[in-house]
Amino acid sequence: MKHTITAAQASLLNCHSCDLLCNAPTADNHLLATCPRCGATLHTRKPNSIARTWALVITAYILYIPANLLPVMTVTSVGKVQSDTIISGVIYLLLSGMWPLAMLVFFASVVVPLAKLFILSYLLFSVQRKSRWRPRDRTRLYRITEAVGRWSMVDIYVVTILVALVKLGALATIEAGSGAVFFAAVVVVTMFAAMAFDPRLIWDRLEDQP
Amino acid sequence: MTLKPELPMSGEHIPRATIQQKSRISIVWLIPVVAVIIGAFLAYKAISEQGPTITITFKSAEGLQAGKTKIKYKDVEMGTVTSIELAPDLSHVLVTASLVHGTERFLKEKTRFWMVTARVAAGEVSGLGTLLSGAYIGMDPVLEGDRSREFTGLEIPPAITTNEPGGQYLLRSTSLGSLDIGSPVYYRKFRVGQVVSQELDSDGNEVNIKIFVHAAFQHLIRQNTRFWNAGGIDVKVGTDGLQVNTESLVSLLIGGIAFDTPSNLEAGTVAQEGQSFPLFASKDKAFEKTYVEVGYWLLYFNDSVRGLKPGAPVEFRGIQMGKVVDVKLEMDLDNADIRIPVLIEIERERLVPQEQLASLGERGTDITKVLVQKGLRAQLQSANLLTGQLKVELDFFPNAPAAEISTHGSYRVFPTVPAPLDEITTSITQVLQKLEKLPLEQIGKDLQATIQNAEKLTGSPELLESIRSLKVALAELEQTTISLNQNVTPSLQDTLLQSQKTLKAAETVFQNASPLEQQLGELLKEMQAASRSIRGFADYLERHPEALLKGK
Repeated sequence: MKHTITAAQASLLNCHSCDLLCNAPTADNHLLATCPRCGATLHTRKPNSIARTWALVITAYILYIPANLLPVMTVTSVGKVQSDTIISGVIYLLLSGMWPLAMLVFFASVVVPLAKLFILSYLLFSVQRKSRWRPRDRTRLYRITEAVGRWSMVDIYVVTILVALVKLGALATIEAGSGAVFFAAVVVVTMFAAMAFDPRLIWDRLEDQP
Repeated sequence: MTLKPELPMSGEHIPRATIQQKSRISIVWLIPVVAVIIGAFLAYKAISEQGPTITITFKSAEGLQAGKTKIKYKDVEMGTVTSIELAPDLSHVLVTASLVHGTERFLKEKTRFWMVTARVAAGEVSGLGTLLSGAYIGMDPVLEGDRSREFTGLEIPPAITTNEPGGQYLLRSTSLGSLDIGSPVYYRKFRVGQVVSQELDSDGNEVNIKIFVHAAFQHLIRQNTRFWNAGGIDVKVGTDGLQVNTESLVSLLIGGIAFDTPSNLEAGTVAQEGQSFPLFASKDKAFEKTYVEVGYWLLYFNDSVRGLKPGAPVEFRGIQMGKVVDVKLEMDLDNADIRIPVLIEIERERLVPQEQLASLGERGTDITKVLVQKGLRAQLQSANLLTGQLKVELDFFPNAPAAEISTHGSYRVFPTVPAPLDEITTSITQVLQKLEKLPLEQIGKDLQATIQNAEKLTGSPELLESIRSLKVALAELEQTTISLNQNVTPSLQDTLLQSQKTLKAAETVFQNASPLEQQLGELLKEMQAASRSIRGFADYLERHPEALLKGK
């Protein structure tokens, strides 16, 4: 890799709010730089990125437990009450022979959120361990994570639409379960975690020891 | 942020950032802390709201689904069936259910569970909702009693839940009739309760029917209240026309019980809950004067008791005094005899007022003895000529052979006389038997032969000859008599005079108490006896003229 000078090495950074290019004399983590023009906090990298991402990832892991244990949807149809969690819904679809739908739900609701969390955890580990291993691929992983995140919300959209549509009184009613709230929280927190992660950290390590 | 390597390393024209002290711990860690708190709270809630787990035994798990079937009380969800298993001996089903938090205090020994399915019974349709939603398990919570976690499910839903105000009473009946659980209980055609359970008692003699009466009507049930089976229609044709009685259309279909307190008796005290009453077959039966004081007697009849059934009346000249309780067959092992003991009960109150009865004591037995001495006997009589039913009739038979009251086991045995019809039948049978023994054919033959002989005799010339010579002989005899009169009579007179003298002399010789006189006395007696037997013979002949031909 051709060695180039970075803004950080030149003690330069620009304000995120007003895009003013400033000269940041110290890179001391315990000191806070503010923009002389708009007063916004200045930082060379997303501030406290690793800690924030970790916090959000851990939060997502915790919320993932109730999201899968609590029922997502309660269907009351002609007197029969059926509460389903995500997994029991997938099993129900599979047993009903609707395996493409089952695969879709399983992919969107189980695989994607978990994959995102695992990828973020791996990226955090690799950054903390100052890994120099295939930074380009790791950055691509991060981009995929960020891009695919919103699609996990498919489940929540389905539940929301069904709850709104199926209001047939005694015949059939669908209610969102508390599991849906937690699942939405998992998706949202994971998205925040992805946003809090600064992919430049992957490359920083390469510059530390050229 | 775009890197601009061409930019000068530092310059006077680039403003300097303000430097401040940074806080040590990032606020971002609050987020997982909050998540942990929420998770912990959920976990705590789930654990703390974990209700008790109970096991209910059912005969069948029809309509139950693990994880779906609910346990409800008044349509409030109390729990969910978690698993359904077969008992190890395959005889029943074990249903495990986890109840919601706070139901522990309702789970007592007497808490009942039953399956709620659509039911059409006892005049009402219930549980229609379960047709769509599937069966659920009903629960009747009980607050008092010992804690329990294992229950036996009822096969039939209880008609009354425990905490419904009211009381239960027991009715004993010989037959269930058309009663079913839920059958109504009426008081003056007012529905005041219903039948809650029915079962045979342990020895199978009676049906125990439990009824529930709502609290508002409990005061109507008194010690002397009469209950009767009000199901069906009561149709009576009497001198006053046709009478149709029914309690209600519902009771017509599903049976019912009615009760009332007789107004002629003073109202008794209000009955205790759970008190037992007899259930009469009809209103009339219920209000028949009942007699509590009964005496039991055993009767031994030699006649056939065909048509004598338990319940047959015991009458005294047409007035009922009691009834037949039992008719049995008994082997007398000592005398190798088979007897028919008939147990009757005599309602003593019919004879003596109740007040006096108590003070009677031993005198009662003495009085009965005197009555028996006067000829009071029991007799089987026909009660109904068409059906051949019998009744026991008590009456005075002064000519009956003397009898005494004996005892057999714990019962006193009352003397009996054979039935009047029986007496006649017996003597007729005897006569017939004798007639049967008569050699009628032989007699006929003999008689025929005799007549033939007689015919021969009368037609024979010898007889004519004999008659002629007899005529001659008679004429001669006449002549002889005449000569006797003329010649012998005078001398005979002399002889008699002479003998008179002799006898007088003899009288003096023999004196009184002489052996001759004694012999004479004996002779006279003999003659008397002979004349008596002749008379008897004559009588017999008169009655049995055929004896002349055939012999006695």
